[in-house]
Amino acid sequence: MEILVCVKRVPDTAENEFVMNSAGNDIERDDLVYSVNEWDNYAVEEAIQIVEKVGGSVTVVTAADADADEILRREMAMGAENGLLLNDDAFVGSDCKGIAHILKGAVGKGNYDLILTGAQADEGSGAVGGMLAAMLDLPYASLVNRVEVGDGKLTVGREIEGGRREINEITLPCVLSIQTGINEPRYVGVRGIRKVASVEIPALGAAELGIDASCVGAKGAAVRKLDYFVPVKGAGAEMLAGSAEEIADKLVEILKTNGGIS
Amino acid sequence: MAQLIADRRDIDFLLHEVLNVEQFSRHDRFADFNRKTVDMVVSEARNFAVKEMLPTWKEGDEQGCSFEAGKVTIPESFHRLYQLFNDGEWLSMNEDPEWGGQGMPKSVSSAASEYFNGANFPFMMYPSLTHGAGKLVEEFGTEEQKKTYLKNLYTGKWTGTMLLTEAGAGSDVGALETTARKNPDGTYSITGTKIFISGGDHELAENIVHPVLARIEGAPAGTKGISLFLVPKFRVNPDGTPGAFNDVVCTGIEHKMGIHGSSTCTLTLGGSGQCLGTLLGEENKGMKAMFVMMNEARLLVGMQGFSCATTAYMYAVNYAKERVQGASLVQPNEGGVPIIRHPDVRRQLLTMKSYVEGMRTLLYFVGYCNDMVAVAGDQAVRERYQGLIEILTPLAKGYVTDKAFEVCNHAIQVYGGYGYVEEYPVAQLMRDCRITQIYEGTNGIQAMDLLGRKLGMNKGAVVMDLIGEIKKTLRTAKEIEFLAPHTQKVGAALEKLGAVAQQLGKTAASDRVLYAFAHAYPFLEVTGDVIVAWLLLWRGTVAAQKLGSAKGKDVPFYEGILKSLEFFTTSVLPVTLGKMEAINGANGACVEISEESFNG
Repeated sequence: MEILVCVKRVPDTAENEFVMNSAGNDIERDDLVYSVNEWDNYAVEEAIQIVEKVGGSVTVVTAADADADEILRREMAMGAENGLLLNDDAFVGSDCKGIAHILKGAVGKGNYDLILTGAQADEGSGAVGGMLAAMLDLPYASLVNRVEVGDGKLTVGREIEGGRREINEITLPCVLSIQTGINEPRYVGVRGIRKVASVEIPALGAAELGIDASCVGAKGAAVRKLDYFVPVKGAGAEMLAGSAEEIADKLVEILKTNGGIS
Repeated sequence: MAQLIADRRDIDFLLHEVLNVEQFSRHDRFADFNRKTVDMVVSEARNFAVKEMLPTWKEGDEQGCSFEAGKVTIPESFHRLYQLFNDGEWLSMNEDPEWGGQGMPKSVSSAASEYFNGANFPFMMYPSLTHGAGKLVEEFGTEEQKKTYLKNLYTGKWTGTMLLTEAGAGSDVGALETTARKNPDGTYSITGTKIFISGGDHELAENIVHPVLARIEGAPAGTKGISLFLVPKFRVNPDGTPGAFNDVVCTGIEHKMGIHGSSTCTLTLGGSGQCLGTLLGEENKGMKAMFVMMNEARLLVGMQGFSCATTAYMYAVNYAKERVQGASLVQPNEGGVPIIRHPDVRRQLLTMKSYVEGMRTLLYFVGYCNDMVAVAGDQAVRERYQGLIEILTPLAKGYVTDKAFEVCNHAIQVYGGYGYVEEYPVAQLMRDCRITQIYEGTNGIQAMDLLGRKLGMNKGAVVMDLIGEIKKTLRTAKEIEFLAPHTQKVGAALEKLGAVAQQLGKTAASDRVLYAFAHAYPFLEVTGDVIVAWLLLWRGTVAAQKLGSAKGKDVPFYEGILKSLEFFTTSVLPVTLGKMEAINGANGACVEISEESFNG
């Protein structure tokens, strides 16, 4: 099975202390340490596991600047065979639709049976997977936490609100957005790192992808971020009192009531 | 979330801006290790250390090891961790890929090692000792021994140990009583009891390979009659699989102050007369072979101690930024402030910072020297860097572990009462760190090694090479006006150290030898201080040149490098100079005092 996994380079929450920028409309992004989006890492692991079972290859792709080479390389060290960087000045400032548009161009460059994305990334939109599926006119399942490969189709488990799950059958080719917890992503070992030491990762721009530059980037963006802030601390928090056991019991009750656990 | 274990920016600074480790990728044997690869190695080592190793550290301490019905049990979580560690092939980062290694420069693997040991040094005892045993097989093993053991050790399939110590043979290895009797088939029957054996028994791997020091029957007394043997826990079948039990019996484990997750065993060999070993290297040349392992082990111990220090520092600085307590002295009515704003806390943190940066640079520099030995085309260059490794080894072990313990101590002080409570991590770090000052040659032995062996190596040429390295930095620093006061202080300290060394050397060669060795440890300490001052100056020259064009977080980072230098040269070096005076005085009180006078 030929699988394309869409990945994103995001600020590493374990390495950074985030501060607002001087304009107050974003976090300060200079000097941040970046890594691969956590959800995407699960998606890559799932793809590798599928290929280990049924054969094929995994390609990781990202639409970003040249620095994103490092996460493609990292996912290749983990086990993906190929990497693809979608990089063009025209892509800068793309909204989710723009990113999906760019990724669609990459899908057209291959012959993929399955396209995976993470369920969401650092900005929490969770939109690219669904948009990409719609643009490709492919079936789509979101928040997938289980995949079984069948003949020309997949059986996928989905996480539903309140901790419930459902099982769907979906025909191939299709797009899935992968939820964390679906597997246990493997660590990158030294051999994998050495293997990608000299790999050249191809980069494709708008022209190579056949993309109309006016549909992507800041120009093509129909959604623009106006403000970004940490909300003022409000009232309404409930402080649990009592012994550790009593607090734990109350917490479980609250979580059950609100659908956090079943 | 704040950084854990180590300051990644400082590691990057050291690897790329100070040591320029990418230069090694120009050589075939390190061709894979370009900038991107190096960065990924550090990132992934950090990732694994933080996500998998650190969470088992406290649990390993609380569970510890147990010994029941002859069976040693180690912390349960270490089993999965060991498997994952081996899956990542981190055990033999530097070794030849032919034998399961990854061919990495040591300067680079130092960074990975720092993260691993900082996250869980008790766990790291198992793979580290295994690597050391493998190194012995690689250096001294026959083709047959290599075939049987080497890949199994370097890949972690089997673990390894080091059996030196006996009840009556600790620092004085020559007093050992374990014997070896040659059998007609060329094997040796080994009999004896070894103590304090790290990783001596457990169920982490299907076999344990023990390099054992023993005396062949009839061999000379002392170290000249010691040979080295390979003794597996289970004999190896012709097909390479573990076979019959080889009569290596654990009779108990120690209950230690720290590193609880590391099993420390007493092993009886040949209690039933069934323990067989094969000679590793030549008869009666065991000490020579063991020194190969011990030199590596001493550098490892330096890394272990240092890793406790860097981890303790990171915890302390994060805590000091969060813990609000007491008003500022200059704004007494403004309410409580984070304790990092109090001058005495800052003094402690800057003490820790400067030592941590100095120690990191020393250990990585020794790794760098190893890499230079590996790539140098010229014999003289190889010998020069080999000499630097040897003279710096007692400092990388003895000085570093003592200062590392001091850093852990400061961390507890920064935490205040909470630091003394096991709920917080710094207490365990201090307990774990303590052993590093003792094993692999106590720090007193390291001081004797520096004064008695290393100072006079190659008729003093090695010392001169080291001084040459320091002077190279002084020359660069002199070009930077801004650094002038620090350059002058480091230069003066070096000059004084040279005079002290000369005088102490003369004393050691005279009939006042005891007076000299009574000052061996202070000499190790002042030498270490001057080395750290040199390395901080080296770092300072890089930071000073970059500061002008730096942006964003790099500005406070480079300023911080320069503050470490300033603090060390103005607050630590003056004390060092005073200690040098004391050494020059060579007072004989501790030599002359009678044993009866030590207590009433």
